[in-house]
Amino acid sequence: MKNKLFLPLALMLAISFAADLRADPLAQARARYAEGEYAQAAKLFEQSLDSSPPQAAVFFELGRCLRQTGQDARAALSFRRALVLDPRFAPARAALVATNTDLGLPKPGKNWRNQVLERIPMDALSLSGSALFWGSVFAITLLVFLCPHGAKGWLALAILCLAGSSGALVLAGICDPRITDRNMALVLRIGGSSLLSSPAEQSEQIAALPDGSMVTLLLQRGKWYYGQLPDGRQGWLLTEGIVPVIPPT
Amino acid sequence: MKPALPILAALFLAATSLCAQEIVAGLSSSRAQVGEPVQLVVTIRGARGADVPQTLAVDGLRINLAGRSTQFEMRNFKMSSSLTYTYMIVPQFEGEFTIPSFGITIEGKTYPTQAMRLAVSGSAIAPQIPSLPQNASPLPPGTAGSPQNNGRPFFGELVLAKKSAYAGEVVPIELRFYFNTRISGQVSERPIFSGEGFTVQKFSNAVKRDQVIGGTNYSVFSFQSAITPVKSGTLEIPAASLEARLKIPGKAPQGLDDFFSNLPLPQGMFAEDQDVKVESGAQKLEVTALPKDGRPEDFSGAVGKFTMEASVSPRKAAAGEPVTLRVTVSGQGNFEGMGAPALSDDEGWRTYPPSDKFQSADAIGFTGEKTFEFAIVARQDQSRTPGARLSYFDPSTGKYATLIQAPLPVDARAGAAAPPAAPQQAAAPADTPPPASAPTPDITAMSGGTSSWSALFFRKGFLAANAAIALAWLAVVIVFSVRRFSASPAGRNLARKKLARQAFVRLAGADPEVFYDEVIRFLSLRLNAPGDHASLSERIESSSFPEEIKASLLRSVERHAESKFAAGRVAAPSADERSCVLATLKDLRHEK
Repeated sequence: MKNKLFLPLALMLAISFAADLRADPLAQARARYAEGEYAQAAKLFEQSLDSSPPQAAVFFELGRCLRQTGQDARAALSFRRALVLDPRFAPARAALVATNTDLGLPKPGKNWRNQVLERIPMDALSLSGSALFWGSVFAITLLVFLCPHGAKGWLALAILCLAGSSGALVLAGICDPRITDRNMALVLRIGGSSLLSSPAEQSEQIAALPDGSMVTLLLQRGKWYYGQLPDGRQGWLLTEGIVPVIPPT
Repeated sequence: MKPALPILAALFLAATSLCAQEIVAGLSSSRAQVGEPVQLVVTIRGARGADVPQTLAVDGLRINLAGRSTQFEMRNFKMSSSLTYTYMIVPQFEGEFTIPSFGITIEGKTYPTQAMRLAVSGSAIAPQIPSLPQNASPLPPGTAGSPQNNGRPFFGELVLAKKSAYAGEVVPIELRFYFNTRISGQVSERPIFSGEGFTVQKFSNAVKRDQVIGGTNYSVFSFQSAITPVKSGTLEIPAASLEARLKIPGKAPQGLDDFFSNLPLPQGMFAEDQDVKVESGAQKLEVTALPKDGRPEDFSGAVGKFTMEASVSPRKAAAGEPVTLRVTVSGQGNFEGMGAPALSDDEGWRTYPPSDKFQSADAIGFTGEKTFEFAIVARQDQSRTPGARLSYFDPSTGKYATLIQAPLPVDARAGAAAPPAAPQQAAAPADTPPPASAPTPDITAMSGGTSSWSALFFRKGFLAANAAIALAWLAVVIVFSVRRFSASPAGRNLARKKLARQAFVRLAGADPEVFYDEVIRFLSLRLNAPGDHASLSERIESSSFPEEIKASLLRSVERHAESKFAAGRVAAPSADERSCVLATLKDLRHEK
């Protein structure tokens, strides 16, 4: 009796598994990539990202597909997105450096913020900082009310923890790329774009922005953005072909 | 017939009154191999005849006049003509050659052409199909191996670079479609070509040239591609076809054939549109399987002839910083099927599957370079990168070969900051890495990132949890504060006053039997005194109340004592008495 039930059940499971595999764009994308069909794989990776929560690994794989199809600027955007989701993802960082080199763009700068990002996961820092913060607050409260004249050592320790956790939360706030890169965008336009002195196409050009250039968007007025380059120069640029690093939700 | 004559005469006259002369000379290709013919085409517009040299003397190049063609065109009732002289150039040896300017005489006047440059290379680095058989090359008319036109106005030809190949070897092919220059029309962008047992590369864009075959001028559209046989045995390469809409010259009206045939009429005079499918012939290719003997263990499918070089950047890496080892494989072969080179001496490194990029040097992806970028992170302090090795099969020797890249100097510090490698990659032997195009399903294990574009601070769950904790803390603070206040004198005093107010409220509705009990309770609370009569009387005496109020309060204390100790013998307080007592106590409700 058991055998009679087992066979159809196994068959149904196998069919449903195969159907899932067929329907899963991520699995299909990886299969296409393995077969060297990079353009098709890139489309499927994009479909997968549209239909499921963003993952650094998938953006990295999408970037590799786009590199294969010669779309270096879009690949750079994918690698940047992978790094926003996981700043410690070394292969994505290396791929971004190589892509920027091929695009003739400067390498991403090395600063203390990047050093922190490469070492500490931001969500873990925020979570542990928050837990320690509230723990310290409760400890101080209890010590103040229950032992107003004693346990000074414990009180000092709790205050130290409170200061440390507050520092951790501030660090997470100023380092997390999902906060700091909120206004970052890339130029994805064949022929690049131009940074102009005023929001008019005939105005003086401050800088040429090649395909794949980074710009910080400060405000939008109609079809114009007011933006700032990494070297500090500010000006106007057309919204066309400017893609935010963090996709709008 | 009579009305037609003046029109024809006018056309004829128009044909003779041509525009000013214009001479354009150009090469069909600026690069060639030794022995590979190149065409020099001189087009003269606005002339009906010209004297041109039969040969040109350039040391290292054999240049002979191959043919001449004339074309007429009428546009907006304006007639123009062009003469085309085609020279065939056969390079004799390698080098950079300059074909000097030469004179073309038209109606007694000599016009110079511009000088042209031709680069001739050996057989190894030609960007075009490098080894097409000589009989398939565009040879001068009459040369052995020229395609046979057999008087056909259009025909096709499939040219294979070789007649035998190994499985997996890339074989360049060229599809040529010949159209008599008297025929005009449009051809489709790509030929139709497919078959079993081989894969086909994308076709290059059509290259158009002129060729004289058997004294007839043809326009030749050639498409280059490459096929890769996937199984051994005799491979049937089917015919390819090209769709075209042609203006096929028709016959003159019946009875006037002789008259029109003697006139230099423009093309298309009696032409009719016709959709045709021009087919090339089929071919056979003998395919041999790759030998098993001598196959290296790390052979990953590369077939061709390659060289390898590597670079590393940055040369100095801080702790945990990745270093990019860039390995470039260049040459000719099946780059699509080529796996990544294997890394050697990589014990002290954490390695990841490489990304790869192919840069083609020709239109068919046969010649070029493929760059593999390995992201590597030092596990221990390192002064040298891993080495790299790539095994491939060389069809020209029929043997396997292995390219070895020695480790490069680098200064990389060990660090724990790098993400953990996927278990499979960490465990994979150094000389058998996954091919570059292999799926990397475990790549997700390399990324420990989040699945949200929102920082933790802005996520609803985190905010709600923190708000709940904050409220709990606030509740704790309030509870402790209230308890501390209640225990303080001020708190106790406040509580007493509150009780006093409640007692006064009860007093108003109290039964006559317990009226004075309630009065004493109120006074005890109000004056913060114990409930016995003596203490209460002392408090009243020492209070700052006016004397008449003091007297009234003392009377109430006495009345209570009476009611308590002489039970049943003391009359209940009358309504007036109650009113009087309540009026006195009313002023005492609020402490000053």
